[in-house]
Amino acid sequence: MTVLYVILMPYLAWLTWAAIRYPVPLSYNWRSLWQRKVSTLSTAGAIGVVVAIFVVVLSLDQGLSRAFVSSGRGDQAIVIRPNSRVELSSTIERDKMRILKTSPLVAEDATGPLVSSECVVVRSLDKADGDGSSNVTVRGLEPPGIRMRDQVRLVQGRWMTPGLNEMLVPRRMQGRFTGLGLGQKQTFGGRTWEVVGIFDGGGSAFDSEIWVDVVTLMQAYKRTMFSSALVRLRGAAQVPGFAQMVDQDKRLKLEVRAEPDYYAEQTEAGQPIRILGNLITVILTVGAIFAAMNTMYASVASRTQEIGTLRALGFRQLEIMASFQWEALMLCALGGVAGVLLSLGFNGIQTGATNFQTFSDVSFAFLITPSLMAKGLAFSLFMGLAGGGLPAWRASHIPLTEAMKGG
Amino acid sequence: MKFLHLILRSFFRSKRRTVLTILSITVSVALIAILQSVLATLDGFANNPDASNRIVVRHKVSITNMLPMRYEDWIRQQPEVEAVMGLQWFQGVYIDRRNFFPNFASEAEYVTAIFKEEIVDYSDAQYRDFLRDRNGCIVGKALADKFGWKIGDVISLQSEIFPITVRLTVRCIFRSKRPADEMGLHFNYKLLEEGVFYMKGRTGNFFVRVRHPDDVPKLIERIDRHFRDAVEPTFSETENAFQLEFLKMMGNYTTIIQMITGAVLVAILIVTANTMAMAIRERTIEISVFRAMGFRTGQILLLLMGEGVLLSILGGVFGLGLAWAMAGAIRNVAGTFLPYLQNFTIDFGTMALCFQATLGVGVLSTFIPAYRATRRPIVDGLRSL
Amino acid sequence: MNGEPIIRLRRLAKSYYRETLEIPVLQGIDLDIPAGGYYALMGPSGSGKTTLLNLIAGIDRPSAGELDVCGFALNGLDDDELAAWRSAYVGFIFQNYNLVPVLTAFENVELPLLLTPMGRRERRERVVEAMERVNLMDRMENYPRQLSGGQEQRVAVARAIVSNPELLVADEPTGALDAKNAEEIMALLEGLNRDLGKTIVMVTHDPKAAHHARHQIHLEKGVLDRTVEVNR
Repeated sequence: MTVLYVILMPYLAWLTWAAIRYPVPLSYNWRSLWQRKVSTLSTAGAIGVVVAIFVVVLSLDQGLSRAFVSSGRGDQAIVIRPNSRVELSSTIERDKMRILKTSPLVAEDATGPLVSSECVVVRSLDKADGDGSSNVTVRGLEPPGIRMRDQVRLVQGRWMTPGLNEMLVPRRMQGRFTGLGLGQKQTFGGRTWEVVGIFDGGGSAFDSEIWVDVVTLMQAYKRTMFSSALVRLRGAAQVPGFAQMVDQDKRLKLEVRAEPDYYAEQTEAGQPIRILGNLITVILTVGAIFAAMNTMYASVASRTQEIGTLRALGFRQLEIMASFQWEALMLCALGGVAGVLLSLGFNGIQTGATNFQTFSDVSFAFLITPSLMAKGLAFSLFMGLAGGGLPAWRASHIPLTEAMKGG
Repeated sequence: MKFLHLILRSFFRSKRRTVLTILSITVSVALIAILQSVLATLDGFANNPDASNRIVVRHKVSITNMLPMRYEDWIRQQPEVEAVMGLQWFQGVYIDRRNFFPNFASEAEYVTAIFKEEIVDYSDAQYRDFLRDRNGCIVGKALADKFGWKIGDVISLQSEIFPITVRLTVRCIFRSKRPADEMGLHFNYKLLEEGVFYMKGRTGNFFVRVRHPDDVPKLIERIDRHFRDAVEPTFSETENAFQLEFLKMMGNYTTIIQMITGAVLVAILIVTANTMAMAIRERTIEISVFRAMGFRTGQILLLLMGEGVLLSILGGVFGLGLAWAMAGAIRNVAGTFLPYLQNFTIDFGTMALCFQATLGVGVLSTFIPAYRATRRPIVDGLRSL
Repeated sequence: MNGEPIIRLRRLAKSYYRETLEIPVLQGIDLDIPAGGYYALMGPSGSGKTTLLNLIAGIDRPSAGELDVCGFALNGLDDDELAAWRSAYVGFIFQNYNLVPVLTAFENVELPLLLTPMGRRERRERVVEAMERVNLMDRMENYPRQLSGGQEQRVAVARAIVSNPELLVADEPTGALDAKNAEEIMALLEGLNRDLGKTIVMVTHDPKAAHHARHQIHLEKGVLDRTVEVNR
């Protein structure tokens, strides 16, 4: 769309210039729109619907991206088995984990090195809306793993105790699945786990994960190997060095991914939404442009005499064209504003999608950002330019004789 | 019908307006048809009549947990069972992720018995070659054509789930009743067992073929009861239900698609109503003259609504045509990201549904302005110049 | 001219309402028009002549009083019955012709016949007959925009008579025409009255046009002023 605007830039500049240099008063256009209230409102309404769909679909993608992008810290890295892409299909032996923990590049706090050995499994949970079940990621982690994820805050209950069958549940997941209330129990891996704490992941991917103690989880699942390790380094600059070190260590045969990069790649889960969004946008734009054109042609036709009068008063063709183009822009902007306001109603609604990389559910919210709103408005203006151009040209080229004759 | 030519003449009174309105309905209907077809295609997966006597057994905890292969022996002894096969979703990537197609590590000797409805036509000699070659694979004709594979070609698949890459020789190419069923690849399960130590003696699913569809429910119940207290309990369901579970992962997309469809219908309604209101408003006098001459309310409504309905019928037909023309491109693009959409077609039922919806919109959108026109006193209409 | 009145009005009144304000347009009209009569309704603008015509033609309803036209008490008919009545008994001629622009002259004239059970062939015969009457046989396939004003009005006359109604109502039929064309239309109407015995009620403010009628009815501020027989 940006490209389109670059192409249309000279035209826009000319329009602005025309409005300043030879003003056919814009209030004239505004009143004309109001004269044909029903027609104006219905066209603006249709454009509003299109803009709203555009913004809402993109807000899904935005919410999903936010979930993944906000999950990573620049000075942290995820260690997985090469080519495994995601933690779920990765395996790391215990002795390799020990080697990682003793690396001099790893940051430490009072309790020791900031490395969390983790194990990821998938568990299906019953959905709250009664529509069957959905797969959810269960992450086993070590106590540093909780501290290393700053965006996660405990909002209710307490953190889990290592060695016990206790689990932590994100607040955002509670509305979407049953049996996740504080004190409620779930059975998996042959054990019964009790919810002891509710956390808020701040919109990150952790809002889609259940957390338990890694050792307990591996015992329950009879695992001998971890899935991955989360490592904090002394600084973001150390990440490449650490990656090189791991890469060169023949004992390890592991792959290091900067945490933000790892999660950025997961945004591919939003691909179907993006494709759907683009398809819908292209198709609907065409439809809306036709509708806007229709209204503008009707407006021009019913004002033949007015146009004649303007010409007789000395306004030139170009000015008349600019005037009608501005009117189309106003009409569509009206729709754009309505659409954006409509879409705001969706902001913050929780939803979910399946990450086909991990076969598990991602919770996220429709996220309508100011930039998305601006995009929606720009989009409506584009419809105004495309839909108003021809009718405006037609208005400026009505023969003066015919215009004076009227009707 | 003697009024038809009156409707047609009025319909083309303002050609530009008529064309613009039809075009805007056309693209909107195309969008609705495509979106609804996406849903219908997905639903088709969970309503596959060919799968009616197949059961899928998986680990009770989740789809990513593995079951011991030895469970197969007990299942095979059940009297209702015709065939059992261990099958593991391999998610192998051929050269690039965009080349997605479903591929499975399957127990080779049972593949044709289990998928009798899908693997319809193949040469016995080729199938024997496949069974003999541990590195062999059997592929559908459509898939082979897509990548230009011939018997004897070697292809390599890098799994996104398991830490191995397999190099497979195409040994057998099969035909199906539907091209969509020809997009799969099966290779010998032993290859996976050898390459991935933790898969030794384990598999993700068992596909069970039951002799008679009526026996399905009780067999499901018996299998799950038998393994209930095992360390690894099972969860069995019909293949259709199993597919449905995957589809439910996209549950929210369904809601969103339905919402968008609704919103687009509202938009068409507004656009058509606006056009018809314009068309009727500029004909106020004419309508009054018709009424003065003795046209009754019902006849005037018929004339005006005929126009609106014609508008929506044409928009609907063109829209469905457009959607149909786009179906192939969508299958290729969307199929890469959502495997289910490789079957994407716009079927008759969806077309009929979209057409009805469009027709409904045409009737509804014209009725309001048309009805208002017939309620207006004739004298007022004649005076409004 | 036989004596039986085809139009019989008793204490006819009509008011319009602007908000809550009642504006009387016609008051206490008593009028008999015999079958085969040719009446011109005259009076200054605002005198109610067009309203009276509309009431007689059954496209407007009175506020009070009785109204019998062509043997029907119009007050007792509902909208659809009134429409059927109009199509059977009344032909309309308007000041601005009001032809349908997307239909040919032939199709315009055929319009009223679409409301009858007539077949295509019979309709064609009737249309041709009406077009002969207005002398436009060579213009049948032309669209209204291809005709002159006088020709358009003649097509409109053909449309008014094609279904053979007893009553013709004309609202300023010459209002948009030049003198020569006006004269032609008036001759046409006179012929229809004389040869076919059509009852004609015409609103006009043009004395020359009114002179073609047999009687002139003068209205003043909503009441009948006087009826004058035209001497020739």
